[in-house]
Amino acid sequence: MNPVELAQTTLAAPQGDMSFFALFLQAHLVVKLVMLGLVVASIWCWAIIVDKWLLFTRTKRQMNRFETVFWSGQSLEELYRTLSGRANHSMAALFIAAMREWKRSHEGARPAIASLRQRIDRVMDVTIAREAERLEARLLVLATVGSAAPFIGLFGTVWGIMTSFQAIATSKNTNLAVVAPGIAEALLATALGLLAAIPAVIAYNKLSADAGKLAARMEGFADEFSAILSRQIDERS
Amino acid sequence: MRVGLIASTAGHLAVLLWGVMSFPDAKPFEIAPVDSLPVDLVPVSELTRLRIGEKTAEVREVEATRPTEKPVEQPKAEEKPAETEAKRPNQATPAPTPAPTPEPTPAPERPVPPEPQPQPVAPEPPAPKAEPEPAPTPAPEPEKKVAETPPPPTVRPRSKPTPPAQPQRERPRENFNPNEIAALLNKVEPAGGASSNSTQPASLGSRQGQSGVTMSQSEIDALRGQISRCWNPPAGAAGAGDLNVRLKVFLTPGGEVDQRPEIMNSSNNPSFGIAAESARRAVLRCAPYSLPAAKYDAWREVIINFDPRELLGG
Repeated sequence: MNPVELAQTTLAAPQGDMSFFALFLQAHLVVKLVMLGLVVASIWCWAIIVDKWLLFTRTKRQMNRFETVFWSGQSLEELYRTLSGRANHSMAALFIAAMREWKRSHEGARPAIASLRQRIDRVMDVTIAREAERLEARLLVLATVGSAAPFIGLFGTVWGIMTSFQAIATSKNTNLAVVAPGIAEALLATALGLLAAIPAVIAYNKLSADAGKLAARMEGFADEFSAILSRQIDERS
Repeated sequence: MRVGLIASTAGHLAVLLWGVMSFPDAKPFEIAPVDSLPVDLVPVSELTRLRIGEKTAEVREVEATRPTEKPVEQPKAEEKPAETEAKRPNQATPAPTPAPTPEPTPAPERPVPPEPQPQPVAPEPPAPKAEPEPAPTPAPEPEKKVAETPPPPTVRPRSKPTPPAQPQRERPRENFNPNEIAALLNKVEPAGGASSNSTQPASLGSRQGQSGVTMSQSEIDALRGQISRCWNPPAGAAGAGDLNVRLKVFLTPGGEVDQRPEIMNSSNNPSFGIAAESARRAVLRCAPYSLPAAKYDAWREVIINFDPRELLGG
């Protein structure tokens, strides 16, 4: 057969349906599952990223606002009274927890002041831990996706290339046109894996650093507040 | 969390939509039709081998050295009949020739052309004409043309006198005189100067070069097959496997053996002589050989290996 004719006939068949959906629909079930999983992982990652980004900006704004109010010279009692009514987070939660402990210790006939400073520290530590956990929640998902998604995509690629080699074996033809669709759909899996992993890794690094920074800022505030309270305790006793 | 999930899903859908919109389909990969190219494998030896010819001549299609200066060779027809006749004139004209000096000797050969059949008539007319020399020679040639056309490649002079095989058959008719043949041999030999006498004009090349014609392996095998049919190797001789005989066979354009085949090798095996003779007999017995006439240059001299191992199945 004339080589030109041969090339044309073999090219004619697989031509034309190389769009995303066509590639997806042609793929083997395993590859399909891998692709779907990766898409879901990507959606979930981005949901976490958006959520954390919103949370961190909100937290930072609250901290700034609280610090300005706190250092404005306002009486702590008054501040406690305004804040205690609503749900608080981060620094406000720290402040409330410490003040509540302080208040409870001074209630009653015999104020328990002897170990009040340790109790306040303990309470603030617990609050910081709780707040930090809230900040860092689900960041591990990002880390997991970031490290595992390329491998999952690679698995889909390997599977797809296996099918394309099977296509070679069955058609007994090594023409590129026989292999190309399989390889294209296989590479789509790797592409999706990288698409999910790259933002996840970047976001994980950025968000965990931010969370660490916020936690450090809370600890700094806790230390300062603890110093203020212990001075008060010492002055009163 | 819900905000993030919604935003993420919306973002992915947007990206997917954009992908579908902007890459609706892969562009078909256009392949310009490629014409198939015929490929020939050309042995480089054809280009690198020196062509036989004259250094001063122009380039020509057919390799040839300049024909020897003596006009004698062109008219020479190679057929055995011609040779046999050649002797006859010689016998007839021994007396006239000695007078004109050695050169005339070629002339007597020329009279040869006269056809074989009118033997009685031909010898006499040419003989007298032999003395005038050039004039008669052209005349006989046209008659000879029948003989000339088949063998364009030409004859080489030295081969002519030698062929003992064919002359032997015809000699009985005439009164065969071995001394006459010896005389003829002596005379003719000096005339044979050119290695390859061709009627073609000389072509550019080297005198040591080779003619471009070579026999293909299948043709060589065909010749070998024809010869081996007639070959009875000395079976039973001691060390028969070692009796490898190399024969140089000289052939005429008609496929006849032109000359006694030369034995090219030697051996201290006592039966080598027998084996060599058997090989020589085989060559003589199986003549004429059918070989491509166009490649006469290639098979004018053929070296053939007679290996008893091939026949004995060793």
